[in-house]
Amino acid sequence: MALDQGSRIETVVIGAGHNGLVAAAALAGQGARVTVLEQADAPGGMMAAGHLIWNLHPAAMEALGTEAQALGLDGPALPTTALDPGGRHVVIEGDDARLAGGEPHPQAAVYRTLCERFRRFAGVLAPLTLGPPPRLGEGWLTGPGLAELRGLGRLGLDIRRLGRREMQEFLRVAYSNVADVLLAEMPDGPLAASLAFDGVLGARMGPRSPGTVLTLLYRHLGGSGRRRPEGGMATLARRMAEAAEARGASIRYGARASGLLIAGDRVLGVGVEGQESIPAHAVFSSLGAGPTLALAGVEHFDAEVCRRVRNLRAEGVTARLDLTLSDMPRIEGLDARHTQGRLLLAPSVAAMEASFDPVKYGRMPDAPAVEALVEPVEGGARLSALIQPVPNAPGGGWSDGARGAAIETVVALIDRALPGLADTVTGAALDTPSDIEARTAAPGGHWHHGEFAVDQMLMLRPVNGMGHYRTGLPGLWLCGAGAHPGGDVTGLPGRNAALAALAEGVRR
Amino acid sequence: MAEAGRYDAIVAGAGHNGLTTACYLARAGLKTLVVERSDRVGGAAVSRELNPGWTYSNCSYVCSLLRPEIVRDLDLPAHGLQVIPYQGGASFTREGDCFAYYSDHHALTREIARHAPRDVEGYERFSRAVMRQCRFIRPLLLRTPPDPASARPRDAAELLFLLRRFNDLGAREMGEAIRFWTMSIGDYLDEFFESGLIKAHLAGSGIIGTGLGVYSPGTAYVLLHHYMGEVDGAVGAWGFARGGMGAVSRALAGAFEALGGEIRTDAPVERFLVEDGRVAGVVIEGGDEYRAPIVASNMDVKRTFLRHVDPEELPDDFLAGVRRFQIRGSSGKINISLDGMPRFPAVPEDSPVLSGDLHVSESLAEIEGAFDDWKAGRWSAKPYLDMLIPSRIDPTMAPAGKHMMTLFIQYAPYDLEKGGTRSPDNWDDAARQAFADTVFDRIEAVAPGFRDLIVHAEVRSPADLEREVGLTEGNIFQGELTFEQLLFNRPVPGWAQYRSPVRGLYLVGSSAHPGGGVMGAPGANAAREILSDARRLRRDARAFRAA
Repeated sequence: MALDQGSRIETVVIGAGHNGLVAAAALAGQGARVTVLEQADAPGGMMAAGHLIWNLHPAAMEALGTEAQALGLDGPALPTTALDPGGRHVVIEGDDARLAGGEPHPQAAVYRTLCERFRRFAGVLAPLTLGPPPRLGEGWLTGPGLAELRGLGRLGLDIRRLGRREMQEFLRVAYSNVADVLLAEMPDGPLAASLAFDGVLGARMGPRSPGTVLTLLYRHLGGSGRRRPEGGMATLARRMAEAAEARGASIRYGARASGLLIAGDRVLGVGVEGQESIPAHAVFSSLGAGPTLALAGVEHFDAEVCRRVRNLRAEGVTARLDLTLSDMPRIEGLDARHTQGRLLLAPSVAAMEASFDPVKYGRMPDAPAVEALVEPVEGGARLSALIQPVPNAPGGGWSDGARGAAIETVVALIDRALPGLADTVTGAALDTPSDIEARTAAPGGHWHHGEFAVDQMLMLRPVNGMGHYRTGLPGLWLCGAGAHPGGDVTGLPGRNAALAALAEGVRR
Repeated sequence: MAEAGRYDAIVAGAGHNGLTTACYLARAGLKTLVVERSDRVGGAAVSRELNPGWTYSNCSYVCSLLRPEIVRDLDLPAHGLQVIPYQGGASFTREGDCFAYYSDHHALTREIARHAPRDVEGYERFSRAVMRQCRFIRPLLLRTPPDPASARPRDAAELLFLLRRFNDLGAREMGEAIRFWTMSIGDYLDEFFESGLIKAHLAGSGIIGTGLGVYSPGTAYVLLHHYMGEVDGAVGAWGFARGGMGAVSRALAGAFEALGGEIRTDAPVERFLVEDGRVAGVVIEGGDEYRAPIVASNMDVKRTFLRHVDPEELPDDFLAGVRRFQIRGSSGKINISLDGMPRFPAVPEDSPVLSGDLHVSESLAEIEGAFDDWKAGRWSAKPYLDMLIPSRIDPTMAPAGKHMMTLFIQYAPYDLEKGGTRSPDNWDDAARQAFADTVFDRIEAVAPGFRDLIVHAEVRSPADLEREVGLTEGNIFQGELTFEQLLFNRPVPGWAQYRSPVRGLYLVGSSAHPGGGVMGAPGANAAREILSDARRLRRDARAFRAA
């Protein structure tokens, strides 16, 4: 990755979401000339769909040449309060769980053990997320093959180092479902549901779907401290964009990539809607695999790969609801710090599984799980809520009627936990998966640009034959959540893609 | 307690796996006794005449997985085993159409094209993909899974062997293998087919006997459990044992007795006798005691260790693992004596597909909905049915002109919900009748007049299967086939090599690797492990008695 290698390279990054920005900064940091094209007027892309940051990776911040403090992420981790319909709310801070009244939670010790175990297991998998996925079956007795072998050997060793008992547990639960794993250790209730929520948030899965433990571990890669970025997600996005610009990347807003310039089966530049096209040696797309292929034109890709991309599972079932309130809500037995912390409305694992059932058939559940944040603002308060799950396209699409009904359902749900809230609502805005797709081009409005499941993971991400950030078209690279290691605001796909491309020669 | 006899080895339970183990032990010269709770051998592979003139294969109902190596080793055809291949199959719709699955390739291609022309090519790709996975996995069935947490050379060598085999697949196929092993059958089929009816027809194999839906990850692999069988070398073919599945058990029992083995029926095990941390024999209800340094349990892991072994003899973490092991009852069974052949207007009366597996599910969403009912503790309002009429290919099953139908119903819960509580006791006669009516209504819709042909029906819920056959929760695989319960995790991590913390006590049923189906692989694998320990165990037992 010599500097002089990067210095001759003209690159274009499509999309100024978190991964596009990190990729741009990483490329610029190595001397490449980088232009970022963003169709919207501000950076952030998919970040607006969430409201908390818990695993933006230090390596991604390093690529941005910045740190948590400068990004406004150095505040204290938010406490979580898992609200109980019976009033026995559970307050969770770090690995510590107690009842809102102050007395210890009966499962506090079990909860701590589980959290420690999940973190330990996540630690074993962590090295896999910091580089391109392993290359398997391409021969071992070559230079790169031996390096792969070393990497896999280290992974094996890390697993063994857990000790016999823990290693067996790791190999047993890694591909299990969170419901079975949690309920074998503790009774069902808000505390168990708080962990199950981490296993399904952003995914089209219920807690009983095999593979949800893996999602949970992925979430716990960077510990479990959740932070509300100073000034909100938009401010964080702006700070990340400024960091990328400070690295030398130039960002063009309101510039929509309209196509790729391709000749002789390699990428020569990017067409921009209503503007002059930009020549480039390499193009990094933070879009999903499908939109990227469409941008280039499917005729440039292998038929099998196209079929796989068409079959890629990406059906978002997570929505965000923003409410304007005329008064700050109060919860009996909770002080201001906890009321303004992370509020979780998920009474049990069983209820979460039950709420997933109607979603499979495109219907809105009566009681989806809700993660809510409330903060006082002048003249009242603001509430943002993530709703998991909602149907991807109820009855074929999100009509005004479906939106109204969904808002009503969720407001009623929140009102039951925060009595009196419904009467103070003065405004409501629902961000559905189809809104997310329309705004960011994320396939299916899916948080991760593609379901995070073993069959779409590692070298199979986004699809078999298109792993390792390559698309098969020389000079076109994938750097978004659809690429390894996957979604959430980690910045890792962007960083890994940029570094892998520089190491392998971006023009290839 | 009376000592009733001394043996080299005792097998508790005369199911097909127990008998397979017993045969291999007897063949190696061990004086072997099989004790069986009921009055006949077979466990879940039995034939019974519950209505005079009709033979019921009343639990398992197809024979294709039985490993050919075992059939050859034990010379089962010489003991009366004859497997007749099924002809095809069909999925009927309520509109009077059907998807007919012909075993003739050209007929099948035409039929697929009738439903969705593009699925013809999809089916070609699908069969190739599944066959590749079958070819990869089949040779591994009769191997003991390595323990990745162990440092013994044997485990390391086996692990290396598996990794090498996996690596030999090459990058693309490795990716495909990982996908196949972890995807849901629904998602997998969605990649190949357009027709909902064709998908529904093929998806059943992925969920039969499991507590999973067609969209639960990990069900594509279960497909393999049904496809990797072979009949007379025809890979993936399904067959029917002439005389019912009891013929398999009878052949195994015949082979065992010809090898000098001894079978005692009506001999329910009360407990496994443990002395000084090692097994010493079994105690039969009533007090008879049979002693042996080797005891193999054909019961599932929960029944073996939670009911019949003193918990004092077992380490806590092993017990915790056994308790955690998921054995969920999810299937019901109905056997019916029919006065004549039911008529399915969608196909001609003499259609060969009627000699295969018949279904009535029309879409994946319908089967997934059936799963949701089960999760809530109800039997499915629109259950998936696997319906066979074995008398079409084996006339010995029913009187002349009459027919015998066997129905496998997915899903039916073990702990049925009634008035807000869930309990197996809720399966009373009224519940069974209502369950049967649900099923019959579904068949009547595609075969008008069906109900009038019913002479006698035997309806069994998961709770009945548990009571009659001794399968925990009535689960046909003696444990869910999910990834956390396969290979080195089956049934308990660290104890996947058929041994148990009690020296000399082995698990040989489907709770052990590679799991269920009338395959015999766990029994054969366990026998191999037992024989490798046998000399030492017998020597130790002699030394123990002398002391």
